[in-house]
Amino acid sequence: MQRLCSPAFIGLAALAGVLIVLPLVVTSHFAIDICIRILLFAFIGVAWNLMGGYAKQLSLGHAAYFGLGAYTSTIMQIKFGISPWIGMLAGGVVAMLASLPIGAVCFRLRGPYFAIATIATAQVLMLLFLKFRDFAWGAEGTTIPNLGNTPLMMQFEAKAPYYYIALAMLALGLAITYRIERSWMGFYLVAIGEDEDAAEAVGVNAPQVKRNIYMISAFLTALAGTFYVQYIYFIDPNTAFNFNISVEAALVSIVGGIGTLWGPVIGTVLLEVTSALLQSWLGSGLGGVQLTVYSLILISVILWRPTGLLGVFTDAYKWIVRAPPAREAAIDG
Amino acid sequence: MLETVVQAVINGLLIGGIYALVSIGVTLIFGVVKIVNFAQGEFVMIGMYISYFLATYFGIDPLLSLAISMPVLFVIGVGLQHFLIRRVLGLGDMPQIFLTFALSLLLMNVALLLFTANYRTLHTSYSDLALHFAGLYVPVAKLVAFILAMVLSGILRVFLHSTDMGKAMRAAAQKPEVAMLMGINPDRVFCVATGVSLALAGAAGSLLMPFYPASPTAGQVFVLMAFVAVVLGTLGNIKGALIASLMMGIAESLGIQFVGADSGLIVVFAMLLLTLAFRPNGLAGGSAR
Repeated sequence: MQRLCSPAFIGLAALAGVLIVLPLVVTSHFAIDICIRILLFAFIGVAWNLMGGYAKQLSLGHAAYFGLGAYTSTIMQIKFGISPWIGMLAGGVVAMLASLPIGAVCFRLRGPYFAIATIATAQVLMLLFLKFRDFAWGAEGTTIPNLGNTPLMMQFEAKAPYYYIALAMLALGLAITYRIERSWMGFYLVAIGEDEDAAEAVGVNAPQVKRNIYMISAFLTALAGTFYVQYIYFIDPNTAFNFNISVEAALVSIVGGIGTLWGPVIGTVLLEVTSALLQSWLGSGLGGVQLTVYSLILISVILWRPTGLLGVFTDAYKWIVRAPPAREAAIDG
Repeated sequence: MLETVVQAVINGLLIGGIYALVSIGVTLIFGVVKIVNFAQGEFVMIGMYISYFLATYFGIDPLLSLAISMPVLFVIGVGLQHFLIRRVLGLGDMPQIFLTFALSLLLMNVALLLFTANYRTLHTSYSDLALHFAGLYVPVAKLVAFILAMVLSGILRVFLHSTDMGKAMRAAAQKPEVAMLMGINPDRVFCVATGVSLALAGAAGSLLMPFYPASPTAGQVFVLMAFVAVVLGTLGNIKGALIASLMMGIAESLGIQFVGADSGLIVVFAMLLLTLAFRPNGLAGGSAR
């Protein structure tokens, strides 16, 4: 009972309420589209953050799993008529399995060279899908047949259902993060992130923990991939394995607060809203503006607030909630 | 058949000389400052644009503009080290990786804003010249670029082995604390190392200009090649990076010749992943970290 009355729980319930009602109030296609993007990229960020944030395994190749998820469900749907709902889970499993050999190779390196190796894996997958046209349509890609309003095939006429799917995925990602944060695995991850050798010295099975978290992270990222191609009704290697997806996954977490539950969400809201504002002011014609601004934000965060902007908000919250008369008294006394 | 192979090897070797300049830069910063510069490719791109604009507006030959692009990039490198990289040294992997990574994104996209995505080519009097012998074909522009790249690498070697600054740099690379005890100022050494490394990237850009189009993303291929070459050649090892770059150039060229035009990169990435799987410490051994 006490837990239900805590301010954190009330805040969370209020946030959930607002997010559930939002599509009923907001009818503009542009606005709801931005909301879906925010939810989707926050979810990808959350998936990245499990591995990149807590265990500090800074991957720049999560597009590999996004793309595998997208291609698995699309191939199953178009070639075998299997619903993308099943394809989504299958894509997650494919991504999980793929993360095993990829992890086995990449985890041999640490720090920057781990990041480079992960870039290479995503690029190799993209090049393979570009090359093998008999298997998966090659460079032209394919449109996903529009079946009208068929919820069983994850196709809807309105935008609101997509919004709710994305919201549910984000909630799932946050719930998993919350659980892991409070489990032994969470402590192992943080220990590995701080000093892998020291963690191993006190008995953490670092290779196994990293492998497991990589599998979870890959699985979640693949779900996002399926959702995204269902949402835009199109797939090609350049969409599915786009380097920008890997970049954005890492970027939103770092800007928001690396290795924190809400960091990726805060980061995505900030970056996506900035990008939407820039687009409406400058038009989408000017290529490069969005990433220029993103990279400036990233550089500023790294130089002045390397723990992320979430810290700014929590500091402000603490300052407001516990504006401390007691502390002042203590200083006076 | 043999002729095709030899021709592919020659093509690869020539472009490998350019890869070597970029890789040596990456491995120099890594060895001395212990930072992986993700933005190295963008400095190649800046070098290309410097040579392009000097040639189109002032009619300066790209090979002569080497004398301008290298000092300019050296100064940029000193500034980069002093104002940005210095602030994240010792802060852990995340800031170190993402600072230069963000810089790479920034430079690429600012270039996109300023110069648009158009490919800009420079046509020099020697762009179409080629040497022919025994059925083989050697483009003069690439040959000159290769020779100059090797000369610059040689000069760097002399600099590192016989000047005080070079020796200080090698000392700081091997044992920073001991180097400091010997009176070496690490900040100054780091600035020079980054400056030299960027000057090499700028040189690569200028040397590329007679036969390679400039665009905001032009540096990407070179930095990827450099990363692979640096891992292959053992991190921080300059001679290793040089040899590995030449090998990569040849491997890429053979891949293009025998697997298909767009598979050069697959060959390179496959090499990277195979190296990581079987020789994670590079072909020469040593420690990966």
